[in-house]
Amino acid sequence: MKTIHVCIGFVLLALVQLFVPSLMIWEQEDILISGNVYKFKTRPIDPTDPFRGKYITLQYEIDYFPIADTAYRYGDQIKVYIEKDSAGFATVSAISKEPLQTNNDYVEAKVTGNYKNAIHFKLPFDRFYMEETKAYDAEKAYVETNRDTIKNNVYALVYIKEGKSVLKDVIIDGIPIQEYVEK
Amino acid sequence: MISKFNKELKTLVKDKVISPELANKIEQYYATKDVGKPNTLFMVFGVFGALLVGAGIILILAHNWDDFSRTIKTILSFAPMVLGHLLVGFSILKEKSNIWKEASGTFLFFSVGACVAMVSQVYNIPGELASYLLTWTVLCLPLVYVLRSHAVALLIILLSAYYAVQVGVWDYRNNQTPWLYVVFLLAIVPHYWNLLKNKILSNTVMIFNWILPASIAVALSAFVGDDTLGFVTYITLFGLLYTLGRLSIFKKLRTLKNGWLIIGSLGTVVSLMIFTFRWIWEELPSEFHYDFQELFVELVLFISAIAVLGYTIFKNGIKAINLFQIAFIIFWIVYFLLPDIGVLPIVLMNLLVFALGISAIKVGVDTFNFGILNYGLLMISILIICRFFDTGMSFVIRGILFVVVGAGFFLTNYVMLKKQLKIKKQVKDTQL
Repeated sequence: MKTIHVCIGFVLLALVQLFVPSLMIWEQEDILISGNVYKFKTRPIDPTDPFRGKYITLQYEIDYFPIADTAYRYGDQIKVYIEKDSAGFATVSAISKEPLQTNNDYVEAKVTGNYKNAIHFKLPFDRFYMEETKAYDAEKAYVETNRDTIKNNVYALVYIKEGKSVLKDVIIDGIPIQEYVEK
Repeated sequence: MISKFNKELKTLVKDKVISPELANKIEQYYATKDVGKPNTLFMVFGVFGALLVGAGIILILAHNWDDFSRTIKTILSFAPMVLGHLLVGFSILKEKSNIWKEASGTFLFFSVGACVAMVSQVYNIPGELASYLLTWTVLCLPLVYVLRSHAVALLIILLSAYYAVQVGVWDYRNNQTPWLYVVFLLAIVPHYWNLLKNKILSNTVMIFNWILPASIAVALSAFVGDDTLGFVTYITLFGLLYTLGRLSIFKKLRTLKNGWLIIGSLGTVVSLMIFTFRWIWEELPSEFHYDFQELFVELVLFISAIAVLGYTIFKNGIKAINLFQIAFIIFWIVYFLLPDIGVLPIVLMNLLVFALGISAIKVGVDTFNFGILNYGLLMISILIICRFFDTGMSFVIRGILFVVVGAGFFLTNYVMLKKQLKIKKQVKDTQL
């Protein structure tokens, strides 16, 4: 192979390598700019990813929808339609495997179980990356805050657009979790 | 190395085996032979250096620097990759040595991984580990051919096996099969084939010869279920690996450099050894419930193994085949046709492992290879030890068996050593 061919091949490859992460960024930025924002009540716990570092896993309060339907099975991909309740928090209005005729936003989720007349699912935005020293503290902070009887004090701020979502921040007692941990 | 070589030369001159002039000539020949050739040690250090720096960057970025803004984090995540591009571009344009290409390729490989990871962090992109590994592998696979880099090829083989196991085994929420692993593997084959044709005796080939079959054996776990049918698939795979290792292209290699042969042989023996026990046959399902995918994988492996075996017979004749190559066919016959006939399958499996041991001993004796000889003896010993657990043999018989096998170890090694010494002596006598 001539050097010029190798060069062209390499330049193309380099462009693809630059393009893929850039596309990821562009998609996320687009959702942050023009998506609708929702608050999801949640609780954080603290695992690790070998390459991407520390994150907290968020367990959402809305992780099931009460209907009796045996058509939903473990691992199915579903659309979870979201609306806001009177306090401004996200609630599930419907779930479906096919798109519904509604103006509500939806997110893609995976069915994790079908029991007690309810379909349980896992929302996609369940990872929030944090500085490695802070992730465990975040879990502790949550436990401590929830000793008080104040509910609704921990929630995730999620931007949603056309089924895609970006988890922007996790808020404890009205301030971002990073700042809360530093307090 | 050189100084030891020179010492030997001096001894040869002193003992008047060669003349001083000849010694000088030899010394000069070796001194100038390797000038201009890349130093292997530099290559190893270069690649390892790049590997460590790249992995270090991934770890540093994984810290998740909260104090930096999103823009700075984004710039930081692209910086190592752009540096990697510049280094690789430089080594291509300036037609630098292989050391440059291998080292810069390795660095770029890791910096691509770091960049994708960092972007995922910044935006909390929820993708599972498997989809991240997939993106990383796809983005770096073409580097193998652009740079003709062995290091990147090896990294891709390892990463894709990691991907396969992550999807098929570790991620319990996932019920997918990592078919893309097969694509990645096939994509590496031309590179490996080229290496085999041109540099069969190099150490690089040896590393590939071990990493490739190991990666395949590990990744297969993502394609099979967890019942006994998985064993059938594995035994077939080991048969295929062994038969591949016996192809004439590997003939020049020493056994230790042929991972296909060793992994295939060890895998066959260990899996068959399990089927010499009674309990495993009792656990067989009363009727086979085939999952389509498992059957497909099993058949593809079986047909490939038979095809390679047929090719070997066609090329070298039926006599070139040994028992290890057809052990998987015998196992298939016993497993699928005779599983219900009392103790027959268990007896047959014991006989098969015993025969494999004997055939290894025979090969060892014929080729004067003490390693293979003792491998065969070890197989028979382990077989006998295993039988202690599930047979009602009397202690006297067990004792006698042990004494016989122990004596066998001594005798065969002793006889062979004697024979070898005799031959050496004969050769010396004819030379004098």
